[in-house]
Amino acid sequence: MNGLDRIMAIVVKEFRHLLRDPRVLATVLLLPIAQMLLFAYAISFDVRNVPTIVIDQDQTPASRAYVQTYSAGGFFQVRGDAAGIGDVDGIFRRGEASVVVVVPAGFERAITSGAKADVDVIVDGSDPNAARMGQAYALALNRLYGQQVAAVWAEKQGLDLSAAGGLDPRVRTWFNPDRQSSIFLIPGLVAVILMIVCVQQTAVTVVRERDLHTAEQMVVSPVTHTELIVGKLLPWTILAFFDMGMVVAVGMLVFGVPLRGSVVLLLVASLLFVFASLAMGVIVSTIAPSMETANVMALMLAFLPGLLLSGLAFPLESIPVVLQWVSSVFPARYMVDISRGVFLKGAGFSDEWPQLGSLALYTVVALFLAVRLYARKVRT
Amino acid sequence: MSEAAMGQSVVRIRDVTKRYGTFAAVDGITFDVARGEVFGFLGPNGSGKTTTIRMLTGSIAPTAGTISVLGNDAVRHPDRIRTRIGYMSQKFSLFEDMTVAENLRFYGGIHNLGKDVFAERRDYILDMAGLRGRESTLTRDLSTGWRQRLALGVATIHQPELLFLDEPTSGVDPVARRQFWDLLYEMSGAGVTLFVTTHYMEEATNCTRLAFMYRGKVIADGSPRELREAHAGGGPLPSLEDVFVELVG
Amino acid sequence: MNVRHVRLLVWKEFVQLRRDPMLLRVVMIMPFVYLIMFGYVVAADVTHLPTAIVDLDHSVTSRQIDSAFSSTAYFDVKARPDTEAALQTLLDRGDVQVAIVIPDGTQAALDTGQVAGIGIVVDGADSQSSSVGTSYAMQIIADLNQARAADLGAGALPGVDARVRVEYNQTLASVNTMIPGLLASVLMVTLMVVLSQAVVKERESGTLEQMFTTPVSRGEYLVGKLLPYGLLACAQSAITAFVGTWWFGVPFTGSVWIVCLGLLLFMLTTIGLGLLVSLVSRTRQQAQQTIMFVMLPMFILSGFIFPIESMPAPIQPFTKLIPLTHAVVILRASFVKGSGLADLAEPFLYLVGFAIVIFGAAIIAVRRRLSE
Repeated sequence: MNGLDRIMAIVVKEFRHLLRDPRVLATVLLLPIAQMLLFAYAISFDVRNVPTIVIDQDQTPASRAYVQTYSAGGFFQVRGDAAGIGDVDGIFRRGEASVVVVVPAGFERAITSGAKADVDVIVDGSDPNAARMGQAYALALNRLYGQQVAAVWAEKQGLDLSAAGGLDPRVRTWFNPDRQSSIFLIPGLVAVILMIVCVQQTAVTVVRERDLHTAEQMVVSPVTHTELIVGKLLPWTILAFFDMGMVVAVGMLVFGVPLRGSVVLLLVASLLFVFASLAMGVIVSTIAPSMETANVMALMLAFLPGLLLSGLAFPLESIPVVLQWVSSVFPARYMVDISRGVFLKGAGFSDEWPQLGSLALYTVVALFLAVRLYARKVRT
Repeated sequence: MSEAAMGQSVVRIRDVTKRYGTFAAVDGITFDVARGEVFGFLGPNGSGKTTTIRMLTGSIAPTAGTISVLGNDAVRHPDRIRTRIGYMSQKFSLFEDMTVAENLRFYGGIHNLGKDVFAERRDYILDMAGLRGRESTLTRDLSTGWRQRLALGVATIHQPELLFLDEPTSGVDPVARRQFWDLLYEMSGAGVTLFVTTHYMEEATNCTRLAFMYRGKVIADGSPRELREAHAGGGPLPSLEDVFVELVG
Repeated sequence: MNVRHVRLLVWKEFVQLRRDPMLLRVVMIMPFVYLIMFGYVVAADVTHLPTAIVDLDHSVTSRQIDSAFSSTAYFDVKARPDTEAALQTLLDRGDVQVAIVIPDGTQAALDTGQVAGIGIVVDGADSQSSSVGTSYAMQIIADLNQARAADLGAGALPGVDARVRVEYNQTLASVNTMIPGLLASVLMVTLMVVLSQAVVKERESGTLEQMFTTPVSRGEYLVGKLLPYGLLACAQSAITAFVGTWWFGVPFTGSVWIVCLGLLLFMLTTIGLGLLVSLVSRTRQQAQQTIMFVMLPMFILSGFIFPIESMPAPIQPFTKLIPLTHAVVILRASFVKGSGLADLAEPFLYLVGFAIVIFGAAIIAVRRRLSE
């Protein structure tokens, strides 16, 4: 029996193990899909439907027309009006709205008499993103409205119109006209979910087997440690690819994510990435003394950095340099880059070779470490 | 032991059934265990032995039938029997990540033993199990033989009248098994009633009375001698194994 | 309830915890890791966005616009291409994430009192940057309009003078809202992961079965599990809170009692959930997978990281079914807005309801499931 035969034997055994427990199979295959669908559908940073409350103390046609402009855009979601200014604090503290617009009495009078009408817009800073957007949109909205009022007035009075003009920001999105976050997130999610599943599965499987003493039995046979690790990881690699295929299919068919770049690049990168993740799982299992700890460590090493430091959802340029270095230690970062490049930006090998190189290096090191640590652990 | 005490039933099972869905793990069994007996409960794996023991300890409730343990209704008042019975499971349920001493301290406290009684029992168990000097060893670092005896000690730390043992010798070498049964005989001699399940036929001969369990039913009930004579068919006495094969066949 | 029994059970739990130092270390270190991650990564306020400016107007106004964008820290002007078409490559390669397009005829439009459209092009492949970049850009344009209006003495013309002010968290620092929410999140992750294993471990090793043949009652068992982990969670929360607020300078304007009450209620629901998972799982691996399956969506949908208002309408009501959602609301409101009990009646009621239902379910499950 040569090395390859031994590896195949281990692969077959591992598969038989897996197929025997349908629940494990279900989680490995269905979980990534289910979660991806959920997140892609739900997650968004796009601020919209900001709950707004309007206090119209003027109650005139002009003030009502003004209030209308807030509902029109789709950004503000006008929920109702409140009694008076004293209420504003309470509104925010109860979380009833994030923006409060106060139109004081005399609004119409001011406008029709050629003066400036005061309006107070108060935003709740406890949601910084919404607050910022709220500020900006409110200002733009008011600017536009004011310009219309001024133009009409100036026309009537025969005045110089130049002061009536203004700059109007027109926002365009480059790659996805719908500005859907899902399209942005999915290529990255593909990578991250794979990683989470891989690292978890391996860590738990290897620890469990160690617990059950079967690992010791294996050591007695003529299998080398490298063969053992490769044999154990291969079935998971196949499953992970199957997963990825499904995830990509769903992403493209259900969410309309385009695939503009080199598929070969994606496959090669994915292969490297899956191996790296599985190796990380093995490393975790050798360090963890118990299953709970393996669990928790896998969570911390896979879930957290995967989600946060990979550039999946949070831009890497804005974080402190130290953490940027830390992120370069995790393969997820490169995978997400490549994935997003291939899907959305039509990238090929020539564009992504630095990332690919880093990924390859990472995989080699991780596998090496995994084999070494596993061998040492089993020997003690 | 007086005749009256000998004749007393410590366990009385009547028409007990336990269903899981449509599957009957235990299907209408009836038997008695008298005080002071070494009662052997035999049968292959999956015959319902463990389920029966669990019902006897009050851990699970039967779907139908009545169970009386030490004069108490095990279904309605399981808590009343727990201070008077001991239980040793197949897995030698000890806390693996605690030391010998810690395990003893835990179970001693759980059974509300007073300080002096506990000290006495602790000494006894350490000597009996041969664990003197190993009080600070983690249970998972002990060999099977020691763990087995420690588990027995833990199960009897409160000197119960009735002791349930579920496959207590599985995975133990023959020498250790012999030593273990010596301990059991000692206890029986002191008046403890023993209820032992096993799938080793050789151990059946150690018991004063037997019940064979197969596929949820009790298919034979009597002393080893009685059972062998009943199936002798006029010839030499068959072994218990032969009896069982014949019953099942 | 026998106090001696409970004391023994708690003692046993601590002995076992001490024998797994890695677990304890992880539990205590995790808050710090999370604090760093969330404090610096998630809460990072976007700045220095690589930007391109395409000036097709070459006028006084366009130059004003250019200098307005160049002089702020939000935008880092990297390129000034001559044509809009050149933006394609820049955006494709990720050289810039935002582009400002000043079309030809801008000045002319302004001079005749017309509205001049200024293009803000954002890279859709990076949603958070584009969101924030948009709002910064709009802000700058608004300021420009304001300045221009002042210059031209447009006080002569009617219009709307909108005064926008920020109430609470005036610096709009995301950290100030992240850290409070983090208290609850760390608690949830730790407790659920650890607890989900707690009972399964004993079931697998057979000690659970053993214990229930002894005089230990099921209630005592539950309390014996609750107390040690509850205490551990409290310690962890306290550390997280202190370090978080101290290190990141997060202001605290609310009441300590409300925070403690909210966290306590949340802790009960989390412990209950962890126990439930542990009770219905047959193996430790199953427990772990169930936890992952349950926890990740809870984390994502709770509004802790991703705003609930931005989620599709059909999903939003479901977010109320997640205890973490309410805990985050309570903590954030308390820290940033100094909200009182009356203000937070709704989330508190939800939490109380959850605590009762989930914990009640756990107790029932103990009675039933452990009898197998």
